[in-house]
Amino acid sequence: MEFATYRNDVWGREVINGVSWDLLWLVVVAAFVAIALHAIYEAMQKRGDKPSSDGERVERHDKLDRIYHWIMAISIFALLITGVFPIIGLEFAWLELHWIAGIVLTVVVLFHIVRSVFFKSDTGMMVSASDLKEPFDETVKPGKYSAAQKGMHAVVTILTFLVIGSGIIMFLLIDTPWWDRTNSLSEATLGLVFFIHGISTLALIGVISLHIYFALRPEKLFYTRSMIKGWISRDELNANHDPQRWTPDETS
Amino acid sequence: MASFDVMPDVQLYQPVELDDALSLAERYGDGGWVLGGGQDTYGWLKDRAKNPQAMIDLSGVESLHGIRETDDGIEIGAMTTLREIIRDERINRDYSLLAQAAGRVASPQIRNAGTLGGNLAQDTRCWYYRRGLDCYRAGGNICYANGPESMNREHAVFDASRCVAVSPSDTATAMVALEATMVIASSSGERTVSAEDFFVGPDTHITQMTSMKSDEILTAVRIPTKWAGQRFYFEKVADRDVWDFALVSIAVAMSMDGDSIAESRFVCGGVACTPYRLTNVESAVRGNTLSSESADSAAALASAGAEPLNYNHFKLPLMENLVRRAMRG
Repeated sequence: MEFATYRNDVWGREVINGVSWDLLWLVVVAAFVAIALHAIYEAMQKRGDKPSSDGERVERHDKLDRIYHWIMAISIFALLITGVFPIIGLEFAWLELHWIAGIVLTVVVLFHIVRSVFFKSDTGMMVSASDLKEPFDETVKPGKYSAAQKGMHAVVTILTFLVIGSGIIMFLLIDTPWWDRTNSLSEATLGLVFFIHGISTLALIGVISLHIYFALRPEKLFYTRSMIKGWISRDELNANHDPQRWTPDETS
Repeated sequence: MASFDVMPDVQLYQPVELDDALSLAERYGDGGWVLGGGQDTYGWLKDRAKNPQAMIDLSGVESLHGIRETDDGIEIGAMTTLREIIRDERINRDYSLLAQAAGRVASPQIRNAGTLGGNLAQDTRCWYYRRGLDCYRAGGNICYANGPESMNREHAVFDASRCVAVSPSDTATAMVALEATMVIASSSGERTVSAEDFFVGPDTHITQMTSMKSDEILTAVRIPTKWAGQRFYFEKVADRDVWDFALVSIAVAMSMDGDSIAESRFVCGGVACTPYRLTNVESAVRGNTLSSESADSAAALASAGAEPLNYNHFKLPLMENLVRRAMRG
């Protein structure tokens, strides 16, 4: 199995063409195996009672963050469906839908960056050295976000930047309502852009599969609920977080 | 590009039963090449731009030949030659549009050997692609025909999506105008597809011209009685009068209610990757009579929405004039 496909350019020189989509099946199988192993491991662990969702509630995600998250999720799913389904044989006119979803994703990511950098003092998602202790010491509880959540965010951030950056270059090379296409890149560079777009897409498929799996795990469902309704209970806070490191506002 | 005087070493199968041909198509998949009259095949193979493992010659499959009456029109076997279609009495009487279109394909020699199935399923003539360049249509990531210095006089003015190649088939426009149905067989059974859905654009599938899968074979085309004996118009404009592909062509079917047009189908060839229906013209001419005035007003709509490339703006007035000529009384 190869990582990339190659073709001849107009001069007959071999240049990279893009990612080898055979890797898609490798990613799907690897994600499935990782999920299955984790599920088996968790099933063998003895867990205490789940903290109650009743009682006092504290705010975890404000409304704007939740709206942002779900718009981003919808646009990423739209991008994956329009980008990958035609490759696996479900044919439809995908390109226009794909770049429209890409614009939506780019806009919400820019919005998120501007809001996080300039309008929020919350740096809870930044990975720090102290986070590295957390997976190895059960007595260390995280602040607002666990090390795993921060790691997931960091990986998704890098992959999203790669997929958006390469996507914008590819977008410039097709006809749109705003400009006509141009073959302005060398064929080798163009192939590299396609490769980056493809490989980051494959990595995103794997990471998003894990993200969805963890969002649906019974002991993590309260995080998913908080991304819908905004709150977690005081019990859930105390059981999973260090109140010294995260002191959220009470909510009604 | 290397050019050879001899055919490449390729396995040749000559089945006499359709089931055997379908089994071979399934076995070889993308590595198989279904051979009709061979007129779009031998160039590819001699240039080594396509390198199939096996060729499945359908000429011995008797069930794919001939023109048959059905309860609702006629069925033409995919291996029926264009010459047989041109000379068929029923087609000339009821579906003269198809006879005219088939009569404008290439040259007499090619019409003697070329088949209806082959003409419908043939690959595009984009010269960058035919030369064997690894463009979008060949699985690459670039279109050589759509750049600032590209030679794109023959290419699309509608519905291009990355690839700007056009459908070269003369009979395809007639089939869409006549609302024909394509009969497609595979080892798992038979399916039918309207002529309009049979041809696919690059927005849906950039490496194919039709909706057929690699294990499928076009076995027949059914033409309904709906348009039998109606008013038809076909015209093809090419650089040469014989042995050339359309720069623009038009196939028109019109049912008349007295002097006025009750229903019509206007289909242009050479302007998009698929036969291109002029639905705005069809709507505009409904209820009109055939006259210079209505022809002028319909012609003005023909090229609406076109996005010409550097060298094919001439196709727009050509389309308009073809509509105008079709609408003259």
